[in-house]
Amino acid sequence: MNFFEGVSTLFSSEKYMDLLIEGFKNTFIISMAATVFGLILGTIVALINLAPNSPLMWVPKAISKVYITVIRGTPMALQLFIMIFVVFAIRGFPPVVTAIIAFGINSGAYVAENIRAGILSVDIGQTEAGRALGLSNGTTMMKIVIPQAIKNVIPAIGNEVIALIKETSIVGMISITDLTQSAKIIGAGNNMASYLIPMSVAALFYLAIVYALTLVIKVIERRLRASDKR
Amino acid sequence: MINVKNVTKNFQSVQVLKGVSCTIKKGERVVILGPSGSGKSTLLRCMNLLETPNSGEIWIGDDLITSMDPALHPDLIDKKAGKSAVRRVAKAYEAEHKTDINLARRQMGMVFQHFNLFNNLTVLQNMTLAPIQLKLKTKEEAEKTAMELLERIDLLDKINVYPSTLSGGQKQRVAIVRALAMNPKVMLFDEPTSALDPEMVGEVLDLIKQLADEGMTMVIVTHEMGFAREVASRVLFMDGGKIMEQGTPEEVFDHPQCPRLQEFLSKVI
Ligand SMILES: Nc1ncnc2c1ncn2[C@@H]1O[C@H](COP(=O)(O)OP(=O)(O)OP(=O)(O)O)[C@@H](O)[C@H]1O
Ligand SMILES: [Mg+2]
Repeated sequence: MNFFEGVSTLFSSEKYMDLLIEGFKNTFIISMAATVFGLILGTIVALINLAPNSPLMWVPKAISKVYITVIRGTPMALQLFIMIFVVFAIRGFPPVVTAIIAFGINSGAYVAENIRAGILSVDIGQTEAGRALGLSNGTTMMKIVIPQAIKNVIPAIGNEVIALIKETSIVGMISITDLTQSAKIIGAGNNMASYLIPMSVAALFYLAIVYALTLVIKVIERRLRASDKR
Repeated sequence: MINVKNVTKNFQSVQVLKGVSCTIKKGERVVILGPSGSGKSTLLRCMNLLETPNSGEIWIGDDLITSMDPALHPDLIDKKAGKSAVRRVAKAYEAEHKTDINLARRQMGMVFQHFNLFNNLTVLQNMTLAPIQLKLKTKEEAEKTAMELLERIDLLDKINVYPSTLSGGQKQRVAIVRALAMNPKVMLFDEPTSALDPEMVGEVLDLIKQLADEGMTMVIVTHEMGFAREVASRVLFMDGGKIMEQGTPEEVFDHPQCPRLQEFLSKVI
Protein backbone atom coordinates (compact mmCIF):
# COMPACT_ATOMS: atom_id res chain seq x y z
CA MET A 1 0.00 0.00 0.00
CA ASN A 2 1.57 3.26 -1.01
CA PHE A 3 1.17 6.59 0.76
CA PHE A 4 -1.68 7.95 -1.34
CA GLU A 5 -3.66 4.72 -1.17
CA GLY A 6 -3.18 4.88 2.57
CA VAL A 7 -4.49 8.42 2.74
CA SER A 8 -7.55 7.56 0.69
CA THR A 9 -8.20 4.45 2.83
CA LEU A 10 -8.03 6.62 5.92
CA PHE A 11 -10.40 9.22 4.52
CA SER A 12 -12.89 6.63 3.32
CA SER A 13 -12.99 4.73 6.60
CA GLU A 14 -15.84 6.02 8.69
CA LYS A 15 -14.28 4.71 11.88
CA TYR A 16 -11.00 6.53 11.29
CA MET A 17 -12.65 9.72 10.11
CA ASP A 18 -14.86 9.81 13.20
CA LEU A 19 -11.77 9.45 15.36
CA LEU A 20 -9.90 12.18 13.50
CA ILE A 21 -12.84 14.54 13.64
CA GLU A 22 -13.29 13.93 17.33
CA GLY A 23 -9.61 14.65 17.79
CA PHE A 24 -9.85 17.80 15.72
CA LYS A 25 -12.87 18.93 17.69
CA ASN A 26 -11.11 18.45 21.03
CA THR A 27 -7.96 20.20 19.88
CA PHE A 28 -10.05 23.06 18.55
CA ILE A 29 -12.23 23.40 21.63
CA ILE A 30 -9.34 23.23 24.08
CA SER A 31 -7.22 25.72 22.11
CA MET A 32 -9.97 28.26 21.56
CA ALA A 33 -11.44 28.14 25.05
CA ALA A 34 -7.97 28.28 26.61
CA THR A 35 -7.10 31.23 24.38
CA VAL A 36 -10.14 33.19 25.54
CA PHE A 37 -9.50 32.25 29.15
CA GLY A 38 -5.81 33.15 28.81
CA LEU A 39 -6.58 36.52 27.22
CA ILE A 40 -8.95 37.50 30.01
CA LEU A 41 -6.65 36.27 32.75
CA GLY A 42 -3.58 37.79 31.11
CA THR A 43 -5.24 41.18 30.72
CA ILE A 44 -6.27 41.25 34.36
CA VAL A 45 -2.81 40.22 35.55
CA ALA A 46 -1.12 42.80 33.29
CA LEU A 47 -3.35 45.58 34.62
CA ILE A 48 -2.62 44.52 38.20
CA ASN A 49 1.11 44.59 37.47
CA LEU A 50 0.90 48.06 35.94
CA ALA A 51 -1.43 49.57 38.53
CA PRO A 52 0.16 52.27 40.69
CA ASN A 53 1.72 50.97 43.88
CA SER A 54 -0.59 51.23 46.84
CA PRO A 55 -1.10 49.18 50.00
CA LEU A 56 -4.31 47.86 48.49
CA MET A 57 -2.50 46.47 45.45
CA TRP A 58 0.35 44.87 47.38
CA VAL A 59 -1.16 41.38 47.67
CA PRO A 60 -2.58 41.18 44.11
CA LYS A 61 0.76 42.37 42.74
CA ALA A 62 2.68 39.75 44.74
CA ILE A 63 0.30 37.00 43.60
CA SER A 64 0.56 37.95 39.95
CA LYS A 65 4.38 38.07 40.11
CA VAL A 66 4.52 34.58 41.64
CA TYR A 67 1.97 33.33 39.11
CA ILE A 68 3.98 34.55 36.13
CA THR A 69 7.27 33.25 37.52
CA VAL A 70 5.94 29.80 38.39
CA ILE A 71 3.97 29.26 35.19
CA ARG A 72 6.78 30.39 32.92
CA GLY A 73 9.36 28.46 34.90
CA THR A 74 7.75 25.01 34.90
CA PRO A 75 6.91 22.59 32.06
CA MET A 76 3.40 22.61 30.60
CA ALA A 77 3.06 18.83 30.97
CA LEU A 78 3.75 19.09 34.69
CA GLN A 79 1.16 21.86 35.06
CA LEU A 80 -1.36 19.69 33.25
CA PHE A 81 -0.66 16.72 35.54
CA ILE A 82 -0.98 18.86 38.65
CA MET A 83 -4.33 20.11 37.39
CA ILE A 84 -5.76 16.69 36.64
CA PHE A 85 -4.25 14.66 39.49
CA VAL A 86 -4.25 17.27 42.25
CA VAL A 87 -6.46 20.30 41.69
CA PHE A 88 -9.30 18.66 39.77
CA ALA A 89 -8.89 15.14 41.07
CA ILE A 90 -12.66 14.90 41.26
CA ARG A 91 -14.50 11.86 39.93
CA GLY A 92 -16.39 12.65 36.78
CA PHE A 93 -14.84 16.08 36.28
CA PRO A 94 -14.50 16.34 32.48
CA PRO A 95 -10.80 16.16 31.51
CA VAL A 96 -11.38 18.55 28.60
CA VAL A 97 -12.42 21.27 31.05
CA THR A 98 -9.35 20.54 33.15
CA ALA A 99 -7.19 20.89 30.05
CA ILE A 100 -8.87 24.19 29.12
CA ILE A 101 -8.19 25.58 32.58
CA ALA A 102 -4.58 24.31 32.63
CA PHE A 103 -3.77 25.74 29.20
CA GLY A 104 -5.68 28.96 29.92
CA ILE A 105 -3.70 29.54 33.11
CA ASN A 106 -0.48 28.77 31.27
CA SER A 107 -1.30 31.04 28.35
CA GLY A 108 -2.43 33.83 30.69
CA ALA A 109 1.09 34.21 32.08
CA TYR A 110 2.57 34.74 28.63
CA VAL A 111 -0.29 37.00 27.52
CA ALA A 112 0.18 39.11 30.67
CA GLU A 113 3.81 39.68 29.84
CA ASN A 114 2.99 40.54 26.23
CA ILE A 115 0.32 43.02 27.25
CA ARG A 116 2.55 44.58 29.88
CA ALA A 117 5.31 45.06 27.31
CA GLY A 118 2.78 46.49 24.83
CA ILE A 119 1.44 49.02 27.31
CA LEU A 120 4.94 50.04 28.38
CA SER A 121 5.88 50.56 24.74
CA VAL A 122 3.36 53.40 24.48
CA ASP A 123 5.15 56.72 25.02
CA ILE A 124 4.74 57.97 28.60
CA GLY A 125 3.95 61.40 27.11
CA GLN A 126 0.57 60.03 25.97
CA THR A 127 -0.35 59.22 29.56
CA GLU A 128 0.98 62.52 30.84
CA ALA A 129 -1.03 64.48 28.29
CA GLY A 130 -4.19 62.63 29.29
CA ARG A 131 -3.62 63.14 33.00
CA ALA A 132 -2.68 66.80 32.48
CA LEU A 133 -6.11 67.36 30.91
CA GLY A 134 -7.69 66.09 34.10
CA LEU A 135 -8.59 62.60 32.86
CA SER A 136 -8.37 59.83 35.43
CA ASN A 137 -5.78 57.11 35.21
CA GLY A 138 -8.46 54.62 34.14
CA THR A 139 -9.90 56.82 31.38
CA THR A 140 -6.41 57.62 30.10
CA MET A 141 -5.67 53.89 29.95
CA MET A 142 -8.92 52.93 28.24
CA LYS A 143 -9.13 55.77 25.72
CA ILE A 144 -5.50 56.47 24.90
CA VAL A 145 -2.95 53.91 26.07
CA ILE A 146 -4.68 50.58 25.51
CA PRO A 147 -5.91 51.37 21.98
CA GLN A 148 -2.30 52.14 21.05
CA ALA A 149 -0.91 49.17 22.96
CA ILE A 150 -3.22 46.71 21.18
CA LYS A 151 -1.50 47.39 17.90
CA ASN A 152 1.85 46.49 19.42
CA VAL A 153 0.50 43.45 21.20
CA ILE A 154 -1.49 41.66 18.48
CA PRO A 155 1.50 40.02 16.73
CA ALA A 156 2.90 38.67 20.01
CA ILE A 157 -0.51 37.43 21.12
CA GLY A 158 -0.93 35.74 17.72
CA ASN A 159 2.32 33.87 18.23
CA GLU A 160 1.22 32.88 21.70
CA VAL A 161 -2.06 31.44 20.41
CA ILE A 162 -0.25 29.48 17.70
CA ALA A 163 2.16 28.06 20.27
CA LEU A 164 -0.79 27.17 22.49
CA ILE A 165 -2.56 25.24 19.74
CA LYS A 166 0.48 23.11 19.12
CA GLU A 167 1.17 22.61 22.80
CA THR A 168 -2.27 21.08 23.31
CA SER A 169 -0.90 18.00 21.55
CA ILE A 170 0.19 16.69 24.95
CA VAL A 171 -3.37 16.23 26.24
CA GLY A 172 -3.22 12.63 25.08
CA MET A 173 -1.23 12.12 28.28
CA ILE A 174 -4.39 12.70 30.29
CA SER A 175 -6.46 10.46 27.99
CA ILE A 176 -8.11 13.12 25.91
CA THR A 177 -8.48 12.14 22.28
CA ASP A 178 -7.11 15.21 20.56
CA LEU A 179 -5.80 15.37 17.01
CA THR A 180 -2.41 13.89 17.88
CA GLN A 181 -3.88 11.17 20.05
CA SER A 182 -6.42 10.18 17.42
CA ALA A 183 -3.64 9.86 14.85
CA LYS A 184 -1.75 7.65 17.27
CA ILE A 185 -4.80 5.42 17.82
CA ILE A 186 -5.40 5.09 14.09
CA GLY A 187 -1.75 4.32 13.50
CA ALA A 188 -1.84 1.59 16.09
CA GLY A 189 -5.00 0.10 14.53
CA ASN A 190 -4.99 -3.09 12.49
CA ASN A 191 -5.55 -1.82 9.00
CA MET A 192 -3.06 1.00 9.15
CA ALA A 193 0.09 -0.76 10.15
CA SER A 194 1.91 2.52 9.92
CA TYR A 195 1.95 5.76 11.85
CA LEU A 196 3.17 7.72 8.85
CA ILE A 197 -0.19 8.26 7.18
CA PRO A 198 -2.38 9.25 10.15
CA MET A 199 0.40 11.41 11.58
CA SER A 200 0.80 13.22 8.26
CA VAL A 201 -2.93 13.79 8.03
CA ALA A 202 -2.98 15.13 11.59
CA ALA A 203 -0.08 17.42 10.70
CA LEU A 204 -2.14 18.78 7.81
CA PHE A 205 -5.00 19.52 10.16
CA TYR A 206 -2.70 21.43 12.51
CA LEU A 207 -1.22 23.31 9.59
CA ALA A 208 -4.68 24.23 8.38
CA ILE A 209 -5.71 25.62 11.79
CA VAL A 210 -2.50 27.59 12.23
CA TYR A 211 -2.59 28.91 8.68
CA ALA A 212 -6.19 30.06 9.03
CA LEU A 213 -5.29 31.76 12.29
CA THR A 214 -2.31 33.50 10.70
CA LEU A 215 -4.63 34.93 8.07
CA VAL A 216 -7.08 36.16 10.71
CA ILE A 217 -4.25 37.88 12.62
CA LYS A 218 -3.05 39.55 9.42
CA VAL A 219 -6.52 40.93 8.76
CA ILE A 220 -6.83 42.23 12.33
CA GLU A 221 -3.41 43.89 12.10
CA ARG A 222 -4.33 45.56 8.83
CA ARG A 223 -7.63 46.81 10.26
CA LEU A 224 -5.90 48.29 13.29
CA ARG A 225 -3.30 49.97 11.18
CA ALA A 226 -5.95 51.52 8.95
CA SER A 227 -7.35 53.34 11.98
CA ASP A 228 -4.20 55.44 12.32
CA LYS A 229 -3.76 56.00 8.62
CA ARG A 230 -0.94 58.31 7.81
CA MET B 1 -3.30 81.50 41.28
CA ILE B 2 -0.36 79.12 41.82
CA ASN B 3 1.53 79.17 45.07
CA VAL B 4 4.65 77.02 45.40
CA LYS B 5 5.93 76.82 48.98
CA ASN B 6 9.39 75.53 49.75
CA VAL B 7 9.12 72.56 47.39
CA THR B 8 11.81 69.92 47.19
CA LYS B 9 11.97 67.05 44.75
CA ASN B 10 14.36 64.12 44.71
CA PHE B 11 14.96 61.65 41.93
CA GLN B 12 16.48 58.68 43.69
CA SER B 13 19.25 60.25 45.75
CA VAL B 14 19.60 63.41 43.66
CA GLN B 15 17.83 66.52 44.90
CA VAL B 16 16.58 68.33 41.80
CA LEU B 17 14.51 71.02 43.54
CA LYS B 18 16.08 72.37 46.72
CA GLY B 19 13.32 74.34 48.37
CA VAL B 20 11.66 76.41 45.65
CA SER B 21 9.03 79.02 46.47
CA CYS B 22 7.21 81.21 43.99
CA THR B 23 3.83 82.71 43.36
CA ILE B 24 2.14 83.05 40.00
CA LYS B 25 -0.57 85.69 40.09
CA LYS B 26 -3.56 85.98 37.81
CA GLY B 27 -2.63 87.61 34.49
CA GLU B 28 1.10 87.13 35.00
CA ARG B 29 3.33 85.71 32.29
CA VAL B 30 6.22 84.10 34.07
CA VAL B 31 9.16 82.82 32.06
CA ILE B 32 11.54 80.37 33.71
CA LEU B 33 15.12 80.43 32.45
CA GLY B 34 18.13 78.41 33.46
CA PRO B 35 20.78 76.00 32.28
CA SER B 36 19.96 72.44 31.33
CA GLY B 37 19.31 70.24 34.34
CA SER B 38 18.57 73.15 36.67
CA GLY B 39 15.10 71.81 37.46
CA LYS B 40 12.89 74.03 35.29
CA SER B 41 10.80 71.20 33.86
CA THR B 42 10.59 69.52 37.23
CA LEU B 43 9.24 72.70 38.84
CA LEU B 44 6.69 73.16 36.05
CA ARG B 45 5.62 69.51 36.26
CA CYS B 46 5.23 69.78 40.03
CA MET B 47 2.72 72.59 39.48
CA ASN B 48 0.21 70.12 38.06
CA LEU B 49 1.54 67.17 39.99
CA LEU B 50 2.97 65.26 37.06
CA GLU B 51 5.81 65.04 39.55
CA THR B 52 5.01 64.70 43.24
CA PRO B 53 7.14 66.92 45.49
CA ASN B 54 8.95 65.27 48.39
CA SER B 55 8.23 68.18 50.69
CA GLY B 56 6.68 71.62 50.57
CA GLU B 57 3.21 72.52 49.38
CA ILE B 58 1.59 73.65 46.15
CA TRP B 59 -1.65 75.58 46.13
CA ILE B 60 -3.85 76.28 43.15
CA GLY B 61 -6.00 79.21 44.23
CA ASP B 62 -7.43 78.13 47.57
CA ASP B 63 -6.86 74.45 46.94
CA LEU B 64 -3.95 72.43 48.26
CA ILE B 65 -2.88 69.82 45.69
CA THR B 66 0.07 68.25 47.51
CA SER B 67 0.16 66.71 50.97
CA MET B 68 0.35 69.12 53.85
CA ASP B 69 3.92 69.91 54.86
CA PRO B 70 3.99 70.12 58.67
CA ALA B 71 7.19 72.20 58.52
CA LEU B 72 5.18 75.04 56.95
CA HIS B 73 2.65 75.11 59.79
CA PRO B 74 4.54 75.54 63.04
CA ASP B 75 1.47 77.25 64.48
CA LEU B 76 -0.69 74.14 64.01
CA ILE B 77 1.74 71.60 65.34
CA ASP B 78 3.07 71.31 68.83
CA LYS B 79 6.84 70.90 68.65
CA LYS B 80 6.84 68.09 71.16
CA ALA B 81 3.97 66.22 69.50
CA GLY B 82 4.64 62.67 68.37
CA LYS B 83 4.51 61.45 64.80
CA SER B 84 0.96 60.17 65.05
CA ALA B 85 -0.25 63.51 66.40
CA VAL B 86 1.38 65.30 63.46
CA ARG B 87 -0.22 62.86 61.08
CA ARG B 88 -3.60 63.50 62.66
CA VAL B 89 -3.25 67.25 62.29
CA ALA B 90 -2.10 66.87 58.68
CA LYS B 91 -5.05 64.64 57.88
CA ALA B 92 -7.53 67.10 59.30
CA TYR B 93 -5.83 69.95 57.46
CA GLU B 94 -5.88 68.07 54.17
CA ALA B 95 -9.52 67.13 54.66
CA GLU B 96 -10.27 70.83 54.82
CA HIS B 97 -7.99 72.18 52.08
CA LYS B 98 -6.82 69.44 49.75
CA THR B 99 -8.56 69.02 46.41
CA ASP B 100 -8.80 66.17 43.93
CA ILE B 101 -5.86 66.61 41.58
CA ASN B 102 -7.98 65.71 38.56
CA LEU B 103 -10.23 68.68 39.32
CA ALA B 104 -7.27 71.01 39.76
CA ARG B 105 -5.70 69.87 36.49
CA ARG B 106 -8.78 70.88 34.51
CA GLN B 107 -7.91 74.49 35.26
CA MET B 108 -4.33 74.11 34.06
CA GLY B 109 -3.43 73.57 30.44
CA MET B 110 -0.09 71.88 29.85
CA VAL B 111 1.92 72.06 26.63
CA PHE B 112 4.80 69.62 26.25
CA GLN B 113 8.04 69.80 24.35
CA HIS B 114 7.06 66.77 22.30
CA PHE B 115 3.42 67.82 21.74
CA ASN B 116 2.00 64.52 23.02
CA LEU B 117 -1.06 64.60 20.80
CA PHE B 118 -3.02 61.36 21.16
CA ASN B 119 -1.81 59.27 18.22
CA ASN B 120 -4.89 57.08 18.09
CA LEU B 121 -7.30 60.00 17.78
CA THR B 122 -7.98 62.55 15.08
CA VAL B 123 -7.32 66.24 15.63
CA LEU B 124 -10.99 66.79 16.49
CA GLN B 125 -11.09 63.81 18.87
CA ASN B 126 -7.89 65.02 20.52
CA MET B 127 -9.64 68.27 21.32
CA THR B 128 -12.98 66.91 22.43
CA LEU B 129 -11.93 63.80 24.38
CA ALA B 130 -11.39 65.46 27.75
CA PRO B 131 -14.33 67.92 27.69
CA ILE B 132 -16.69 65.09 26.72
CA GLN B 133 -15.24 62.43 29.05
CA LEU B 134 -15.31 64.83 31.98
CA LYS B 135 -18.88 65.81 31.09
CA LEU B 136 -17.96 69.49 30.88
CA LYS B 137 -19.59 69.78 27.46
CA THR B 138 -21.92 67.81 25.26
CA LYS B 139 -20.41 66.31 22.12
CA GLU B 140 -21.95 69.08 19.99
CA GLU B 141 -20.68 71.86 22.22
CA ALA B 142 -17.23 70.34 22.44
CA GLU B 143 -17.03 69.97 18.66
CA LYS B 144 -18.21 73.53 18.14
CA THR B 145 -15.53 74.86 20.48
CA ALA B 146 -12.91 72.68 18.80
CA MET B 147 -13.90 73.97 15.36
CA GLU B 148 -13.72 77.58 16.48
CA LEU B 149 -10.28 77.03 17.96
CA LEU B 150 -9.04 75.21 14.85
CA GLU B 151 -10.41 77.99 12.69
CA ARG B 152 -8.46 80.44 14.79
CA ILE B 153 -5.16 78.64 14.16
CA ASP B 154 -6.11 78.13 10.54
CA LEU B 155 -6.13 74.32 10.73
CA LEU B 156 -9.82 73.65 10.24
CA ASP B 157 -8.97 71.62 7.14
CA LYS B 158 -6.99 69.20 9.35
CA ILE B 159 -9.91 68.49 11.64
CA ASN B 160 -10.27 64.82 10.72
CA VAL B 161 -6.66 63.82 10.17
CA TYR B 162 -4.46 61.90 12.58
CA PRO B 163 -1.57 63.72 14.30
CA SER B 164 1.07 61.74 12.37
CA THR B 165 0.16 63.68 9.21
CA LEU B 166 0.81 67.10 10.76
CA SER B 167 4.05 69.08 10.76
CA GLY B 168 5.73 69.81 14.08
CA GLY B 169 4.46 73.37 14.21
CA GLN B 170 0.93 72.24 13.40
CA LYS B 171 1.11 69.55 16.08
CA GLN B 172 2.18 72.03 18.72
CA ARG B 173 -0.51 74.53 17.76
CA VAL B 174 -3.13 71.79 17.98
CA ALA B 175 -1.69 70.78 21.36
CA ILE B 176 -2.09 74.36 22.54
CA VAL B 177 -5.70 74.67 21.43
CA ARG B 178 -6.43 71.21 22.85
CA ALA B 179 -5.45 72.65 26.22
CA LEU B 180 -7.48 75.82 25.53
CA ALA B 181 -10.57 73.73 24.82
CA MET B 182 -10.71 73.05 28.56
CA ASN B 183 -10.97 76.80 29.31
CA PRO B 184 -7.97 76.70 31.63
CA LYS B 185 -7.19 79.52 34.05
CA VAL B 186 -3.47 79.08 33.53
CA MET B 187 -1.26 77.56 30.85
CA LEU B 188 2.02 75.76 31.53
CA PHE B 189 4.49 75.52 28.65
CA ASP B 190 7.58 73.29 28.85
CA GLU B 191 9.93 74.28 26.05
CA PRO B 192 7.12 74.42 23.48
CA THR B 193 9.46 75.11 20.56
CA SER B 194 12.55 73.07 21.43
CA ALA B 195 11.55 70.09 19.31
CA LEU B 196 10.62 72.17 16.26
CA ASP B 197 12.48 72.90 13.06
CA PRO B 198 13.57 76.55 13.07
CA GLU B 199 11.10 77.61 10.41
CA MET B 200 8.17 76.42 12.57
CA VAL B 201 9.17 78.12 15.79
CA GLY B 202 7.62 81.43 14.76
CA GLU B 203 4.09 80.17 14.24
CA VAL B 204 4.02 78.58 17.70
CA LEU B 205 5.51 81.60 19.47
CA ASP B 206 3.02 83.86 17.68
CA LEU B 207 0.13 81.83 19.02
CA ILE B 208 1.53 81.97 22.56
CA LYS B 209 1.98 85.73 22.22
CA GLN B 210 -1.65 86.07 21.15
CA LEU B 211 -2.73 84.26 24.30
CA ALA B 212 -0.50 86.54 26.34
CA ASP B 213 -2.11 89.59 24.77
CA GLU B 214 -5.53 88.22 25.68
CA GLY B 215 -4.49 88.14 29.31
CA MET B 216 -3.96 84.41 29.78
CA THR B 217 -1.96 83.57 32.89
CA MET B 218 1.03 81.49 31.92
CA VAL B 219 4.25 79.89 33.03
CA ILE B 220 6.73 79.25 30.25
CA VAL B 221 10.00 77.35 30.29
CA THR B 222 11.92 78.37 27.20
CA HIS B 223 15.36 78.90 25.73
CA GLU B 224 14.06 81.54 23.28
CA MET B 225 15.52 84.67 24.87
CA GLY B 226 14.00 87.20 22.50
CA PHE B 227 10.57 85.70 23.01
CA ALA B 228 11.10 85.59 26.77
CA ARG B 229 11.95 89.27 26.93
CA GLU B 230 8.98 90.17 24.76
CA VAL B 231 6.30 88.10 26.42
CA ALA B 232 7.32 87.89 30.07
CA SER B 233 5.94 90.07 32.80
CA ARG B 234 8.39 88.40 35.19
CA VAL B 235 11.42 86.21 34.67
CA LEU B 236 12.69 83.53 37.08
CA PHE B 237 16.24 82.31 36.76
CA MET B 238 16.87 78.82 38.12
CA ASP B 239 20.16 77.11 38.75
CA GLY B 240 20.99 73.98 40.70
CA GLY B 241 17.42 73.41 41.82
CA LYS B 242 16.88 76.89 43.23
CA ILE B 243 15.44 80.17 42.01
CA MET B 244 18.56 82.34 41.99
CA GLU B 245 17.09 85.59 40.75
CA GLN B 246 13.84 87.05 39.53
CA GLY B 247 12.49 90.30 38.21
CA THR B 248 11.12 92.09 35.19
CA PRO B 249 12.71 91.19 31.84
CA GLU B 250 14.65 94.49 31.95
CA GLU B 251 16.04 93.73 35.39
CA VAL B 252 16.99 90.17 34.56
CA PHE B 253 18.35 90.69 31.05
CA ASP B 254 19.87 94.16 31.35
CA HIS B 255 20.97 94.27 34.99
CA PRO B 256 21.59 90.70 36.11
CA GLN B 257 22.83 90.58 39.69
CA CYS B 258 23.99 87.07 40.48
CA PRO B 259 27.15 85.80 38.76
CA ARG B 260 25.53 82.56 37.62
CA LEU B 261 22.87 84.53 35.74
CA GLN B 262 25.50 86.84 34.20
CA GLU B 263 27.42 83.78 33.05
CA PHE B 264 24.25 82.12 31.73
CA LEU B 265 23.24 85.21 29.74
CA SER B 266 26.70 85.65 28.29
CA LYS B 267 26.50 82.10 26.95
CA VAL B 268 23.02 82.20 25.45
CA ILE B 269 22.84 85.70 24.00
N1 LIG C 1 12.19 61.12 35.92
C1 LIG C 1 13.46 61.41 36.29
N2 LIG C 1 14.23 60.49 36.89
C2 LIG C 1 15.49 60.77 37.29
N3 LIG C 1 16.07 61.95 37.11
C3 LIG C 1 15.36 62.93 36.52
C4 LIG C 1 14.02 62.70 36.07
N4 LIG C 1 13.57 63.84 35.51
C5 LIG C 1 14.58 64.73 35.60
N5 LIG C 1 15.65 64.19 36.20
C6 LIG C 1 16.91 64.89 36.49
O1 LIG C 1 16.63 66.05 37.22
C7 LIG C 1 17.44 67.12 36.81
C8 LIG C 1 16.60 68.32 36.47
O2 LIG C 1 15.80 67.99 35.36
P1 LIG C 1 14.83 68.99 34.63
O3 LIG C 1 14.23 68.25 33.50
O4 LIG C 1 13.91 69.60 35.60
O5 LIG C 1 15.85 70.08 34.10
P2 LIG C 1 15.57 71.27 33.10
O6 LIG C 1 15.98 72.50 33.80
O7 LIG C 1 14.19 71.19 32.58
O8 LIG C 1 16.60 70.97 31.96
P3 LIG C 1 16.44 71.09 30.36
O9 LIG C 1 16.71 72.52 30.01
O10 LIG C 1 17.50 70.18 29.85
O11 LIG C 1 15.07 70.63 30.01
C9 LIG C 1 18.28 66.62 35.66
O12 LIG C 1 19.57 66.34 36.15
C10 LIG C 1 17.59 65.36 35.22
O13 LIG C 1 18.54 64.42 34.77
MG1 LIG D 1 13.28 70.62 30.73
